[in-house]
Amino acid sequence: MISPAEKPPIIAVEHLTIGYGERVVQRDLNFHVQRGEVFVILGGSGSGKSSLLKCMIGLVAPVAGKILFDGVDIVTAEGAERLKLLNKFGVMYQSGALFGSMTLVENARLPLDEFTRLDLHERELVALTKLNQVGLFEAARRMPSELSGGMQKRAGIARAMALDPAILFLDEPSAGLDPITSAGLDRLIRGLSRDFGITFVVVTHELQSIFAIADRCIMVDGERKTLIAEGKPAELRDHSEDPVVRQFFRREADPEQERKTG
Amino acid sequence: MAPGSAILALSGPLDVQTAASTRREISTQLAGKSFQAVEVDASRIQHGDASGMVILYELLHGRFTPGVQATLRGLRPELEKLLAAFPKPEAVEATERRAAPKPIAVEVGVATIGLGRDFLEVVAFLGRLSIALAAVIRRPRKLRVSELARVFEKAGANALFIVSLISLLTGLIIAFEAAQPLKQFGAQIYIANMIGLVMVRELGPIMTAIVFAGRSGSAFAAELGTMKVNEELDALKTMGLDPTRFLVVQRVLAGTFAMPLLTAYSMAMGILGGVIVTKLMGFPLSLIWRQLTAALGLKDIVFGIVKAVVFGTVVSGLGCYHGVHTRQGPSAVGDSATRAVVSGILLIIVIDAIFSVFAFALDI
Repeated sequence: MISPAEKPPIIAVEHLTIGYGERVVQRDLNFHVQRGEVFVILGGSGSGKSSLLKCMIGLVAPVAGKILFDGVDIVTAEGAERLKLLNKFGVMYQSGALFGSMTLVENARLPLDEFTRLDLHERELVALTKLNQVGLFEAARRMPSELSGGMQKRAGIARAMALDPAILFLDEPSAGLDPITSAGLDRLIRGLSRDFGITFVVVTHELQSIFAIADRCIMVDGERKTLIAEGKPAELRDHSEDPVVRQFFRREADPEQERKTG
Repeated sequence: MAPGSAILALSGPLDVQTAASTRREISTQLAGKSFQAVEVDASRIQHGDASGMVILYELLHGRFTPGVQATLRGLRPELEKLLAAFPKPEAVEATERRAAPKPIAVEVGVATIGLGRDFLEVVAFLGRLSIALAAVIRRPRKLRVSELARVFEKAGANALFIVSLISLLTGLIIAFEAAQPLKQFGAQIYIANMIGLVMVRELGPIMTAIVFAGRSGSAFAAELGTMKVNEELDALKTMGLDPTRFLVVQRVLAGTFAMPLLTAYSMAMGILGGVIVTKLMGFPLSLIWRQLTAALGLKDIVFGIVKAVVFGTVVSGLGCYHGVHTRQGPSAVGDSATRAVVSGILLIIVIDAIFSVFAFALDI
């Protein structure tokens, strides 16, 4: 657990309850993300980790609680304050969410077109550089539909980085990628974190990725509908008492499910 | 300092917030002067990002000082790294090279081949549809009645309101428009004859078919198109299930049966509109009824209903055809729906014209 004596967190989640209609997905979540760290949100399929991410980036309003970015609550922020907050972070969606009618470089350039007063030539250069950083320079003029899933994801990261945000949210960056591409992505994340101090909030359930990138992680559980672990991944793997956390890190099947299928 | 050289000292943050104003300042400072060498002192840039580094990049590649490439010193290592990530100018140029436009003969040729291929695909589709229909007739258990009922309800029953409104108003409008010229000849009672013939032989089937193309033809194309994009059609194929038998047959049958019913209803509503107007003009209902029955024969009604059956088959078939042949990409489903509606309406009119010519020649 983090002590409150540390420097102020870049994101503070306080008493957050997420739900849709009557159904509660997660209850009373409390955690902090520190500036510059790679923070991973873990959880099994259907545990509500994607809902948590959607909540943190302001797409879905929570049932209760606060999500503070440098002290500003994204739940209540409106107008110019909200826009300023939104420009603080970039989001890579699970499938890339590239705009299909634009080339990759146009996709990456879009935030620059809308939010900066640089020349077209300069915006183009920055967008190309972002694509270069994710290894897609050669594909810059291609349409998203011509790319593989992994390339679309990387292009999604390039677009999320266009405005050099302080925080990058990544939804399942390595899901559906081959190990080489996935490892490359992990290296990219570590490099960006080390060189530019970007804070990462990553939702994933890929064990290898977690150990490769995470400074700290939390784990949410769909059954108990709350946070069941917080700490460094290696510590959780070696010392956690919680059966679900142990199963997760040891890649063990659920004993109950095993009884049914075994 | 050597003559004609300049030192540019940058300080403070150079990021997405300050890049545009820094660029403006640099270009006013350097404007109208010529240098042999420019040195950029970057040691006091505390913070930067890619949008800021683009300014340095442009200085280094002589965009502000034509012919002179600036030299850089004192840049923090992490920013150095960021700057190194920028692509070389030649590489940037290379990405901008576009394919040369094709000569017109090539375009025409490609389009012609495409047209021929489309025609073959239509033939193949008709063939598959016939085979699937035959299979269903031989073994009706394979029809998937629940799916047929669902489509029938959506395409047929749920269209009643819009068909009512459009047909009733069409009847009213035509009756009102015809009233004036017929009045000059004292022939207003013939409004009833005219409305009867027009609604039953032409407008009933056509208006209903156009509504059907817009409501259901497009829906079939979008439904099947989305399934194609989601690989659901592939899933059916690999399970050994023919998408034509599984999805298309139900829609084509539903269209073929729903259209004549909707059309009969539309004819009635249109005539009702005409009757309302004639009644408002003071003619008794018994007289209107006598005029109607004198003007309309069974063959007119059969003619209208047969057209409706053909329209129903063609429109739903086209909707399914465009759905199944949906391409990849984000706008593909929308394109398919558009094609289904446009080609549907076009074919309705063409087929109607053919019917008219035959009807005239055969004196139906």
